Amino acid sequence: MRRSEIRRELRIRARDIIVQRDRRFIVNIEKKSLKRVIRRLLKMKNYTHLSTITALEVGSKIELIYHIAFTDALISIKVQISKDEPILPSIVDLIPGASLYEREIHDLFGVKFDGHPDLSPLLLPDNWPEGVYPLRKWWSTDRTLSKLGGKR
Amino acid sequence: MTFEIPFGPQHPALEEPINFMFEIDEERVVNVKLRLGYVHRGIEKIAESRNYQQLVYLSERICGICSFAHTLCYSQSVEELLGLEVPERAKFIRTILAEMERIQNHYLWLGLTAKEMGFETLFMYAWRDREIIIRMLDMISGKRVNYGVNTIGGVRRDITESMIGRIEESLKHLEVRAEYYTKVCTKDPLILRRTVGVGVLRPREARALCAVGPTARASGIAHDIRADDPYAAYGEIPFKVVTYRGCDVASRMYVRIDEIKESIKIIRYALKNMPDGPIRVRVPILMKVPKGEAVSRVEAPRGENLHFLKSNGSDKPERWKIRAPTLANLSSLCRMLIGINLADIPVVIAGIDPCIACAERVVLIDSKRDKWKIWNGKDLWRYANEWYRKKYGF
Repeated sequence: MRRSEIRRELRIRARDIIVQRDRRFIVNIEKKSLKRVIRRLLKMKNYTHLSTITALEVGSKIELIYHIAFTDALISIKVQISKDEPILPSIVDLIPGASLYEREIHDLFGVKFDGHPDLSPLLLPDNWPEGVYPLRKWWSTDRTLSKLGGKR
Repeated sequence: MTFEIPFGPQHPALEEPINFMFEIDEERVVNVKLRLGYVHRGIEKIAESRNYQQLVYLSERICGICSFAHTLCYSQSVEELLGLEVPERAKFIRTILAEMERIQNHYLWLGLTAKEMGFETLFMYAWRDREIIIRMLDMISGKRVNYGVNTIGGVRRDITESMIGRIEESLKHLEVRAEYYTKVCTKDPLILRRTVGVGVLRPREARALCAVGPTARASGIAHDIRADDPYAAYGEIPFKVVTYRGCDVASRMYVRIDEIKESIKIIRYALKNMPDGPIRVRVPILMKVPKGEAVSRVEAPRGENLHFLKSNGSDKPERWKIRAPTLANLSSLCRMLIGINLADIPVVIAGIDPCIACAERVVLIDSKRDKWKIWNGKDLWRYANEWYRKKYGF
């Protein structure tokens, strides 16, 4: 897969596409164009599946990376959203397999996915306090012990 | 009615307790809900406070069965960030061990699935053969599981001439056994009755639900990271991506048995063409990794394994994301379970190769009588085998 092909298929600016190495591409996009880009990706030749969604903290923002696999490349779609209002449209209607990944991020990072049918806890226990997202940087493993009890 | 039966400590596949909530209408499954996290160890969080060398050992312990795939995936991502070129010989040794792990895992799976069907003899046979490959892994690495062979920059153990002879010998035996299993699994009436047309996942559904590994390949999707995104020495070794079009548990079984045969060929080729030279590049123990991020993918025995690593320039990673193949296949599993008979649940769950021993408890809701029953894995297993015995007299 080549950079020009991604640019042409996704209809995005060339400077938003970064070639990391052979077979690895990063595409930076805005929150509002997420669904449009995913829809176009699905129509591309050689598309195989959504590998996973990674969430991480970047300063005051949360970055979501959609790793989309092709038979000859892996494209990472990056979207940044603010920590104060972590809402993103869900892509479950386009890729049903994204459901568990979105629920995982909802549990661990507190990102809300608009349009996801069921965002009930998947990983965290039933007595987990509200508004606490364990993979955010301010949270530490010691805090888990003090909140839930138990010893190291 | 709740039973507390220990389904546990001695079981070698205990690693992923998972709760399925089945909604059933008489004997048909209408809906499935799932709940994970009973053994969520917070490895991604712990990783933020460990250095890169320590994480090799942590990654080894993500999974007990495919530990080599995880360390390989992790080491590759660190090597990419460091800009390190691994010696050719190390790449071949990695390939050989990864394939041996695949054989080991597939025999384990075959045994467990046979046990789910109540076919205990096949379970014993498969695990006896698994023992052979485990001995070989023990010979190379000094350990039966969690080999500790991978490290950043290469491997820590070499394969010597005398080892090659012994590996060749055991491969010859395993090949004969794999042929035998093909014969058994295509002819035995019990296996055919329990697997053909059971737990169907159509290619379109598999694609939409992002199935990976043997689960996807049994639905006719020729998708294999070894071929699509070659790592280690796979780019230089010819091999076939095994696919079947049956979309059912039987196909998943045939895919895995054929993969064992294919793995044996890969190991033979790699042993013959292994170049001489060093097996690792030394890296400092307390090293700083330059800023950047890397995505590494490995075809683990159960499917695609993905590690994402982001470095902030210090000796600890900023973020390490792990996606093991079982999580990717769970959505497909839920789809397979809908509409099947209650008695087929164990076999279908085993079909995607999760850690089935871990189906620690099953809650059944009878949608007509609105009655709750709480079952554990053993009750379900007993129910399933009784059902088939009554109906077909096995």
